[in-house]
Amino acid sequence: MPLPLYYYLSITAVNILMSWALYLPYRVAHLHFITIANMAISGYAAGYLVMSLHVPFGWALATGFILGGLIGYVVSRFIGDAPTFAVVIVGFTFIFITRTVIQNLPAVGGTMGMFGLPNIGGNPESHRVIILAILYAMVVVVGWLIHRFDHSRLGRAASAVFVDPDLAASLGINRKKLGMLVQTASCTIAGGSGVLYGFIYKSFHLDFFTFALVGIFMTVIFVGGYATLWGTVVIAPILYGVPLLLPSEIQEWRVVIYGALLILVLVLKPEGFITPRFVRSIETFLSGKRRKRNISLKEVT
Amino acid sequence: MKRLIGVLVLVLFAAALGFGQAKAVVNEWQVPFLNCLTGPIAAIGEFLEWGAEYAAKEINASGGIAGKPVKVVPIDTALDPQKGSVEMARIVKDSLVAMGPVPEPVIMAAMPIAVEAGMMSMTATTSLEYAQKFFPWTVSFLPPTEQRLATIVTAWAKEFPDIKQAVQFVVPYGPWPGMAAAHVKALQELNIQVLGQVDVPDDAVTFGPLVVKALEEKPDGIILVTHGEQAAKIIKELKNRGWKKMNHILVFSSADDAQLYSTGGADLNGVQVYNYINLDISNPRWDAFKAAFAKDHNGMAPFSLAPNYYDALYMIKEAIEKTGVTGDPSKLAEERKKIADYCANVQNFHGLLFNWDMKDGIPTNKPNYIFEIQDGKKKLVKEVR
Amino acid sequence: MQGFVAQVINGLSLGSIYVLLVTGFNLLLLVAMIIHFSYPQVVVFSMYITWIVLQLTGNNLVLGIAAGIASSIALNLLSAPLFQKVMMKRGEVDINSTMVLSMGIGMIITDVLSHTFNKGLPIAFPDQLAGNTPLLRVGLISVLTGQIWSLAVGIVAVSAVFLILYKTRPGRAFRAIAEDPNGARLVGIPLLRTGLASYALSGILGGIIAVLLAMVLGSASPGLGEQVAHKVLAVSIIAGLGNLAGGLVVGLILGILEAIVQGYISGTWSDAIAFVIMLVVILVKPRGLFGSKV
Repeated sequence: MPLPLYYYLSITAVNILMSWALYLPYRVAHLHFITIANMAISGYAAGYLVMSLHVPFGWALATGFILGGLIGYVVSRFIGDAPTFAVVIVGFTFIFITRTVIQNLPAVGGTMGMFGLPNIGGNPESHRVIILAILYAMVVVVGWLIHRFDHSRLGRAASAVFVDPDLAASLGINRKKLGMLVQTASCTIAGGSGVLYGFIYKSFHLDFFTFALVGIFMTVIFVGGYATLWGTVVIAPILYGVPLLLPSEIQEWRVVIYGALLILVLVLKPEGFITPRFVRSIETFLSGKRRKRNISLKEVT
Repeated sequence: MKRLIGVLVLVLFAAALGFGQAKAVVNEWQVPFLNCLTGPIAAIGEFLEWGAEYAAKEINASGGIAGKPVKVVPIDTALDPQKGSVEMARIVKDSLVAMGPVPEPVIMAAMPIAVEAGMMSMTATTSLEYAQKFFPWTVSFLPPTEQRLATIVTAWAKEFPDIKQAVQFVVPYGPWPGMAAAHVKALQELNIQVLGQVDVPDDAVTFGPLVVKALEEKPDGIILVTHGEQAAKIIKELKNRGWKKMNHILVFSSADDAQLYSTGGADLNGVQVYNYINLDISNPRWDAFKAAFAKDHNGMAPFSLAPNYYDALYMIKEAIEKTGVTGDPSKLAEERKKIADYCANVQNFHGLLFNWDMKDGIPTNKPNYIFEIQDGKKKLVKEVR
Repeated sequence: MQGFVAQVINGLSLGSIYVLLVTGFNLLLLVAMIIHFSYPQVVVFSMYITWIVLQLTGNNLVLGIAAGIASSIALNLLSAPLFQKVMMKRGEVDINSTMVLSMGIGMIITDVLSHTFNKGLPIAFPDQLAGNTPLLRVGLISVLTGQIWSLAVGIVAVSAVFLILYKTRPGRAFRAIAEDPNGARLVGIPLLRTGLASYALSGILGGIIAVLLAMVLGSASPGLGEQVAHKVLAVSIIAGLGNLAGGLVVGLILGILEAIVQGYISGTWSDAIAFVIMLVVILVKPRGLFGSKV
């Protein structure tokens, strides 16, 4: 596989996963920025396990997931049903704390960062295949789980909480438990994504996990559509890939273009490009076509 | 129809990302330069780019490299590791050699790709501590930190024997804490008491609390290991609180940038700064460089790192010509190695400002200078080797 | 003791910056029901306009300040229709949409400043504007004119905004439109004119804040807005969204807290510790210490 395509696909997968990690809590109107801190914590932890303690990558990755989930669970016990603002502040707090702790930890490279993560599978080619395989397996599994969530009672409950939390509570929806579920899930996804992110680059640096990532993932969700998981799948590759194709004179203004796109979408299409209605119409169209094909097959036989 | 669109999109992306056929032999040396042309340090990126383009113009005016013209291909990484990695992945396919990336987060993300591909990418503005992680596929333009800084700080402190106690302001960024530790070691060897380190948050807006903390220790000397803008603000704050001995303040080299001067203005008068570039050296090439830089930058003197990628391109030129590299794509791996090996151990390289040697990718005899700032300009106080 | 007093004064100076920005932030919240996360970036943009006019006019302070205020009003009025469009729900603050919209605006402003003005380098204000003249200097204690101005104007601004919004007819009209435009129309409040006036008021305050920040800081850089945006949002939330007096108190306390942490613990931990304390507060009192006004 061409090297640029590998990096494009692998980073796109991380962007999709992390955007979903923000999408899930946003189903209950929580902007859960702690996921960025989760990426860093799990990533550095896994890097340390592999480099210093020679733990196999699989175990390090599992640790990343578990650590992310644990942090998400513990924090969600306090903010599972907190107002949106509290969740935002928690996210900022964790990002600041994480950066400060990592800066002061020589064991994980401190301010210099962590270099020379080994190839998984022993050589660069196997490394790339394994990373891509894991990433896209994650995309499929997480996507399927989110899809199931969205189409379940829990998903409908989340939609109710998003629209009117008080009404949702009066209907018997346990906001705290629901909040805890989505927050824990989102942090778990973020933990695993953070590990893989570092192993794509084979290094970790604090500036891989900055507030700028918040901007990227928020743009993906809001431009793609925050009410359905498909928006992320469509927009993440485009937002990452299209600027790479632009001439340098236009690339220079990339951030301005992102900002303008974000504003335009919010003003003209607040739900994003891919709305639930659009998804339903696609589903209907596909099932309609399938039904017609079945009917005509039946007629023939 | 959907499938067709999907295939078209994939083909478009793959083609754009370099899935196409290998290029035929070209009549021009193309040197990609992964640089930070947008984002928070875009101004510095522009200065580095300017230096490289100026070198290319000069080289082409005198016949090119082995008779063929050279072209610097600017690639903006926007300080984004995601972008930097894809761009490096694109260029390692066909490029003989590259320059950059700039700065450290992008180096971390992109250099492993160059290392894996066996292609030299000259990170001419980063410290040895970062560069050596990627040897032999880059070289360092900076000597070992501890050795170099010890010499400089010792020379500075000896100028002012009344400095008995010192405080350092340090931003926890990249190799800077290591540089601060080297300063401390040098001071301690002179029996100067290092009273403490004032940690400067990266996003500090005001510096009163930090300056008061430092002044409470009653230091005689102060060393600043911070960003240029922060250094200027700290110096202003020190002055506001009665600090008089401006030459007892030493600013480290990485803060010696346009942001220091544009923020500090006349408040910097008397402050000492160390660097390994001396703008007042006179030689025809450097004089022409300075004049051209001033013309293109409203009379501004060259930024201290501007010569680095000028020198990097000339080093590449020398490597190509001396090793007989042809640019033949079928010999790409072999010729990449030749360039890397040559640069790692080049002897008496004629840099823009001085000549130096490399040993295993590390410069061995680069001078360092201590300057005093007066009216936005640096006056040489001492050359230190 | 001297050091401690000096740190408290430093803290008040830093806190006054937060107070000014939070006041402008709260004003927009109260008159337009929008969370303008990137309000600090708008203020920084006005600082740059002030600087440019000063450069072009040979440091003519009157023109520079007028330009700063005018640019702030213009930016507010230009962004007004965008915010109004995304406000889906009336009667409550749609934090998510307006916050994201303002992040988009902030991204554009920061990038434009990085690209165009002064080649992206920081700008330094002339001595005539930078409030560097010491009013008091005793040992480590130093009080500069800029610090006094920003603190005094911060307190005056909070009081003035409170009076305008809660004690005057136009202020009541502003709040009425923000809370219930249909109801406001029914009672005869001209929506367009009053709405524009409310944004203009916020613009005037933004311009004044830009000038005061120029006095306190003496310089600005493209990233300055981003550096303080998180804290401004946090102060507003901790105090209680839209609570002007609360914003004043919490802003000053945060400034003092940061100064104490930087002075006695560690500079690099100041953000983390400050946010942890704010986090604890918000977990105990989710609607803020002084109660939300929206």
